[in-house]
Amino acid sequence: MTRLAVAIFGLVLAFWPTASLAADAGTLTIAPQDQQAREYTLEDLDSMPQETIRTKTVWTEGVVEFSGVVLAHLLADAGIKTGTVKLSALNDYSVEFPVDEAGDDYPIVATRINGEAMPVREKGPFWVIYPYDQSDDFRTETIYIRSIWQLNRIVAIE
Amino acid sequence: MRVLIYFLIAGLIVSLGLLGARLQRDLDTLYQVDTNGMIWTVFQIEAELATLRSTLAEQAATAVPDSSLVRLRTDIVLSRISLLRSGRSRSFWEEISEAEDLLGALERYAQDAARVIDHPGALDQDDITALSALTGATRPQARRLAVLGVATGATASEARRAIFVQQLERTGFVAFVLVAGLTVVLLYLDRLLLHARRRDADLRVSSQKLASTVAASLDGIIVTDRAWRIVDYNEAAQRIFGWSKDEVVGRRLNETVLPSLGRGEESSQGFRLPQTGTSRMEATAARKSGVTFPVELNVTTSTKGDGTRIAYFRDISEQKISERHLIDARNQAERTDRAKSQFLAVMSHEMRTPLNGILGVLDLLKTTRLDVRQRRFVDVAAASGEILLEHVNEAIDITRIETGAISLTPQGFALPALVARVTDVLRPLASEKGLTLVAEISPDMDRSFFADSGRISQILTNLLGNAIKFTDAGQIHVDVSGIHGPERSQVTFRVSDTGPGITPERLDDIFEDYVVLARSEGRQSRGDGLGLAISRRVARLMGGDLKAESTLGEGSVFTLSVPLERMGEAPLAPPPSPAKEQRPKSVLIVEDNQINRSVLREMLVGFGHSVYEAENGREGVAAAGERRFDLIVMDFRMPVMDGIAATRELRGTAGPNRGTYILGLTAYGSDEYRALAEDAGMDGFCTKPLRLSVLEDTLSRLEHFPAPRPAWAGSVDQTYRSGLQEETLSGLERTLGQDELRSTLAQFLKEFEEALSRWRRPGEDRQELLDDLHRLRGASVLFGLNDLAELVDMVSAGVDDGTTWYLEDALSALEAELVSTSATFADEIGSANLGPVS
Repeated sequence: MTRLAVAIFGLVLAFWPTASLAADAGTLTIAPQDQQAREYTLEDLDSMPQETIRTKTVWTEGVVEFSGVVLAHLLADAGIKTGTVKLSALNDYSVEFPVDEAGDDYPIVATRINGEAMPVREKGPFWVIYPYDQSDDFRTETIYIRSIWQLNRIVAIE
Repeated sequence: MRVLIYFLIAGLIVSLGLLGARLQRDLDTLYQVDTNGMIWTVFQIEAELATLRSTLAEQAATAVPDSSLVRLRTDIVLSRISLLRSGRSRSFWEEISEAEDLLGALERYAQDAARVIDHPGALDQDDITALSALTGATRPQARRLAVLGVATGATASEARRAIFVQQLERTGFVAFVLVAGLTVVLLYLDRLLLHARRRDADLRVSSQKLASTVAASLDGIIVTDRAWRIVDYNEAAQRIFGWSKDEVVGRRLNETVLPSLGRGEESSQGFRLPQTGTSRMEATAARKSGVTFPVELNVTTSTKGDGTRIAYFRDISEQKISERHLIDARNQAERTDRAKSQFLAVMSHEMRTPLNGILGVLDLLKTTRLDVRQRRFVDVAAASGEILLEHVNEAIDITRIETGAISLTPQGFALPALVARVTDVLRPLASEKGLTLVAEISPDMDRSFFADSGRISQILTNLLGNAIKFTDAGQIHVDVSGIHGPERSQVTFRVSDTGPGITPERLDDIFEDYVVLARSEGRQSRGDGLGLAISRRVARLMGGDLKAESTLGEGSVFTLSVPLERMGEAPLAPPPSPAKEQRPKSVLIVEDNQINRSVLREMLVGFGHSVYEAENGREGVAAAGERRFDLIVMDFRMPVMDGIAATRELRGTAGPNRGTYILGLTAYGSDEYRALAEDAGMDGFCTKPLRLSVLEDTLSRLEHFPAPRPAWAGSVDQTYRSGLQEETLSGLERTLGQDELRSTLAQFLKEFEEALSRWRRPGEDRQELLDDLHRLRGASVLFGLNDLAELVDMVSAGVDDGTTWYLEDALSALEAELVSTSATFADEIGSANLGPVS
């Protein structure tokens, strides 16, 4: 299992696309399949209903408070209700995500950590966050892989 | 064993559960990111560094570098580097000491790179060049860190896997043990099951056997629970009680078959049934119809302690009916038997009374002048009478033996005299048949013994009677011999005859009741079969025995041997010949039978005694009140007042015959009467007929009897007499009045004096004088002057006697008494006007 994961990471590493960086790091592009893609700025997300998750993470120290928009709401806002989306980061790291698995409360697309906006150097500005402390179910490999930071694009792929 | 298995299984399951939980936890850890995430981060850093370098290379070629792109790429790298020191990564890397330098180098790079790009305004080529140099130098460090992380992560993973495998192996082992244990348990349970099945089958067979036994039982079997509620009920019980099984199951025993136990009893203790045990009892049960009947009942309680009771019933009504029949039959037989005994007793009494007369008259006849022929006739008649009397006595003995009332009355007797008496009685009978009867008594047996001589006589009489009866010619021998022990002597009476003899087979039979041996010529050879049987029983009662030996054609020998208690060394003096030595006596005969009375009177008068008669007890008591007698012969059974009551009255009241010898007479030859007689106060007792010899004995005994001495000897109890007078006189005074009494008394005394004075005159008729005296005697008694009356009797006895000195003495005594009496009454009579004597 572990070996397999290492192998996968190895592959991902080997074929990493080098310079296909998106235009603006401060915006989140959401592209439904049959509609025009929308660009969300930090202000756009701030204007939407906010959700807060207090939790520890394996990447941070102590309990921290993340706040932002629930992913499912964001997708719905962009016109994506079903299917699978591909979440991509600034460094082109991406992961596939079935829309069905997006809950009403989690994950959120966090825009603030402890009330502060997150620069790129601090894994911002958009970070997918689950309530990891809530259950063992949120401390699995799959969940960690989906906890993508420096989120930049969401593309519906089917 | 079972508990152990349960514990074992439970332990295995618990450990398996614990191991499973641990495995799950380990599995969870495997799922959770730690080392992989760290390594990934490091590889990311290297990758981002590579991307940055390529971007820098591109921008170095352009005149105006794209500042924002360079800054973005740099920021991405820096964000990765910052991850190394935060979250879980920090603890991971801190454990690897070699990583510290590399981490420090990366952080220095981060600071340097930040310094290069963190200035306002666009980046120029110098910035690009500086950043390129920094990034190029850092990349190998990032790679080394990644390799180090991979190696460390692999080792850690290896270790975790090893632990996991170990856990798996441990769990597997426990699971294996559990499965093996369960298999063993399963096999064991299977064996148990098989065993139980086999036992169940056995049990079913035996319970079927039991059920068929119970069903086939003739006894009703009812199984109940602790509270006597019927649980099971067999077919025999249905037959006995009439209830079907369905009707009674669930109901209580006392509500159905045993109502006698009482209804409404709530507790089992209320039943009076044996709680356990096997003893049988009888109870009253009820059929369905309500008819009650007796049952035999046996209740056992189950040993298991669940209170199950098993009651066995047997209908014993038939048995009870048979029992009742038997009891009735027995009662009937007993009544018959009693009637027979009663009949025998009455008959023997009725026969004895006339026999009394016959034998008495024959005795008397013997005392008269008879020629030789007449004497022979009388002897034969007397002997036959004796035999008849013997038979009657035997019949009575039979009834008494049957009732167990026979007892011995020992008394002193002289052995030769006893033998002589028996042989004397039977000798005439023997002579009649031409037999000689010889008695030989060994000299050392000539002495006195203390035993029931009557019984010995009875046995001897029987043996001799038989011998005479069965012997046609020859002689009969009685030999008496014996051995003297310290206190007792074993005395043997041998009676031998020259008769036909008895066959050996029959020798024992002759001692049975009512056995009669037939003679060969067909004539009955035995008149009664009782004698020998009674004789043997009596002999054994006395501690001895009676045996017979016989030789056919030569004769028989009967041997009676009894232990007898010896009396003093000297033989008893033969009783004095009474007729010669006795002075005349006055005798009162109280007897209702006229013949017996006259026979007795003849006997007594023949001896020269004066006789007075009374027909019953009442008359006897009255006669005894008038004068004193030397002897009163008292019959037991009489009308008006019987002899016992009369004796009591005589003994209980003050009268002249309070101390007189009373001889009881009974036709019932039973010893029971002896006690009765003694209790009433009789001095002697004999059964009828009263024989001359017995009468002689009694009269001679009177000589030694402490009778009141005659008044003239001056021994009359003065106090007693005056008391008596006082009482009588006061009674008279109440009746007559004082004056009348005085005049009568005075006249009486005067007449008495005159009558007495005439005795002194010569030429007076003695008989006439005596009659006068007797008249005065009656008056004396009336006045309570018994001493006077007694003296009158003396005088009259003197007249009868004919001895002059006696009459003189009596007359003198009478005169003296009269004088003293007159003196006593002188004061009382006083001035009474005594009229002339009429």
